Amino acid sequence: MNEKIIIIENLVKRYPMGETEFTALKNINLTFDKGEFAGFVGPSGSGKTTILNILGSLDTPTEGKVVVEGEDVSNLSEKASALLRKEHIGFIFQSFNLLPVYTVFENVELSLLLLKKSAAEREKAVTAALEWVGLQDMARKKPPQLSGGESQRVAIARAIVKRPNIVLADEPTANLDAENAHIIMQTMQKLNEELKTTFIFATHDEKVMQYLKRKIHLQDGRVSKDETMETKTLQL
Amino acid sequence: MIKFIFTGLLRDKSRSLLPILVIMIGVFLTVGMTGYIRGFIEDFVDQNARLQTGHVNVVTKAYAQNESLMPIDLALLGIDTLMKKLETDFPGYTWSPRINFGGMLDVPDESGESKKQGPVMGMAVDLLSGKTDEINRLNLHTALAEGHIPEASGEVIIGEELARKLDLHPGDKVTFIGSTMEGSLTFRNFTVSGTIRYGVRQMDNVIMLLDLKDAQALLDMENGATQILGYSKQGVYFDEEAARTRDAFNKKYAGSGDQFIPVMRSLSDEPTLGYYLTYINSFSGLMIFILIVIMSIVLWNAGLLGGLRRYNEFGIRLAMGEEKGHVYKMLLYEALFTGIIGSVFGTLLGVALTLFLQYKGIDISGMVQGGAMIMPNIIRAKFSPDLLSVGFIPGVAAMVIGTMLSGIAIFKRETAKLIKELEI
Ligand SMILES: Nc1ncnc2c1ncn2[C@@H]1O[C@H](COP(=O)(O)OP(=O)(O)OP(=O)(O)O)[C@@H](O)[C@H]1O
Ligand SMILES: [Mg+2]
Repeated sequence: MNEKIIIIENLVKRYPMGETEFTALKNINLTFDKGEFAGFVGPSGSGKTTILNILGSLDTPTEGKVVVEGEDVSNLSEKASALLRKEHIGFIFQSFNLLPVYTVFENVELSLLLLKKSAAEREKAVTAALEWVGLQDMARKKPPQLSGGESQRVAIARAIVKRPNIVLADEPTANLDAENAHIIMQTMQKLNEELKTTFIFATHDEKVMQYLKRKIHLQDGRVSKDETMETKTLQL
Repeated sequence: MIKFIFTGLLRDKSRSLLPILVIMIGVFLTVGMTGYIRGFIEDFVDQNARLQTGHVNVVTKAYAQNESLMPIDLALLGIDTLMKKLETDFPGYTWSPRINFGGMLDVPDESGESKKQGPVMGMAVDLLSGKTDEINRLNLHTALAEGHIPEASGEVIIGEELARKLDLHPGDKVTFIGSTMEGSLTFRNFTVSGTIRYGVRQMDNVIMLLDLKDAQALLDMENGATQILGYSKQGVYFDEEAARTRDAFNKKYAGSGDQFIPVMRSLSDEPTLGYYLTYINSFSGLMIFILIVIMSIVLWNAGLLGGLRRYNEFGIRLAMGEEKGHVYKMLLYEALFTGIIGSVFGTLLGVALTLFLQYKGIDISGMVQGGAMIMPNIIRAKFSPDLLSVGFIPGVAAMVIGTMLSGIAIFKRETAKLIKELEI
């Protein structure tokens, strides 16, 4: 399993700051294999969100090359980057960002609607995704009726329902208590193992870190350490 | 996807209700006002046409230049021939000769001495030929206040207010004193057969209605008339049509420099009337335009507020791989849908108001006191099929334009910037 799903070469990201520029990412070189369970860790402001957004083609590199799923995201058109996200990338955010007027089922269904799947396919995939996160009984509820942990599990279902190759999760546990944080991480770990989905996190939460098989330490926009943990699966 | 959008729209009342309400009110006002103004114009035009100007009218060139003096010495002569020509050349119109003339009415007492006197405006129309439309055209049956419509030569019917001033009643004798076409003194006795009330002061205070033949004899103008009025057989005044007829007629008779050549004018050529029509039309156009602008601005801002509330939703949809253009397009579909709903209800309410006012009418006699125009005292709104679109289209347009404007503010930004601002 050595297929490179992401290749980052000499990535630099600069933001204009009035007269001058601020360099958020400084010459990053990394690759990710298919099926990794990795994360960017580091203090606030070290560039974790920035690099995750670039990997998700929500943002573009200033310099260097970033290849995701064989697509060079540094010069993708708006249309092409939308297509890449639509087909291959699932996002999980810190604040769950479910749409309050829609039911759990409809929230999860949305990305399949964008992919123009048939009603039968959608029904099947959404049910499966909700089962994965253990929320099959909550399909008809609306987000305001859910707890934080349940909400984030719906967000996970929404991210994986289309079976993306890559899931990008920015601080997915920041709004959760310890117990729920563990449940979330275990759910994702299970998905990673059984579906071979590549997970890339951005976090400074110890609870998340202990599940990661690879920790990429960022410090002031540079990779200061890239450590691969011995393979161990935490069981509760 | 469309179903998804509409589900959201239906469940999120705050997203749909305000715009629908705004549009509904705007469209309602537009439709109601237009219906009312239409009714006003139509009543106004119709009444003027019936009483005074016709849809088109023919007078001599000299008469046209001195009309305010009611110069019967400049009247048309040989009208039999002219009438025949008009009937062959313009079969779409019915032609009616009339004579307007001024004079004095004298009321004698038993011994024949003058008891009371007052100025009158004589209006001679065909009442007795047996094939006349004028009785209906002047609504004489409805306007009749007392007595009966003249049935024989020598009978006149006078304005109710004039009758009151001169203390006249049906059956009373009066003497008309005036001058003939040639300028010599003329007087003749008439019997008042009845009184009429139009609710228009210019008529009720001074009018004396008599048969055309009586007037021709009285004024010594055999086969003459001060004007020949033309009424479209469709019954309604169309300005363009009337103008075409006028131009065709005038082209045919132009050339000879004679002062007494006949000239045709359309209703809106009457200076004050034309001015009023233009004024009312541009006024209502302006009102509708202002309403649309206000609606657009309100909806634009409502769209901005709604957009702010939905920032997260847009962010999520972008992150899921929906294209910005598609999100924008869906937003416009939403606007179209809300616009249509609001416009449908607004139009229905506006039409309901119009129909109500068409049936009921609003008495504006208090407002037109002292006006020199013949104006109906009760204004009724007027329904016409184009009322269905007059507010509908602007309503939908305002919603779509408002949304386009507010949407642009969101979607001109780069995805990266947007995602940052969304804080998702
Ligand atoms: N649009 C921007 N313009 C200017 N500077 C920016 C912009 N976005 C991020 N930065 C800067 O880039 C640096 C990295 O930001 P980033 O959001 O990636 O940090 P982070 O590691 O995710 O931090 P946190 O743990 O607080 O989420 C920060 O110093 C931030 O201020
Ligand atoms: Mg961050």
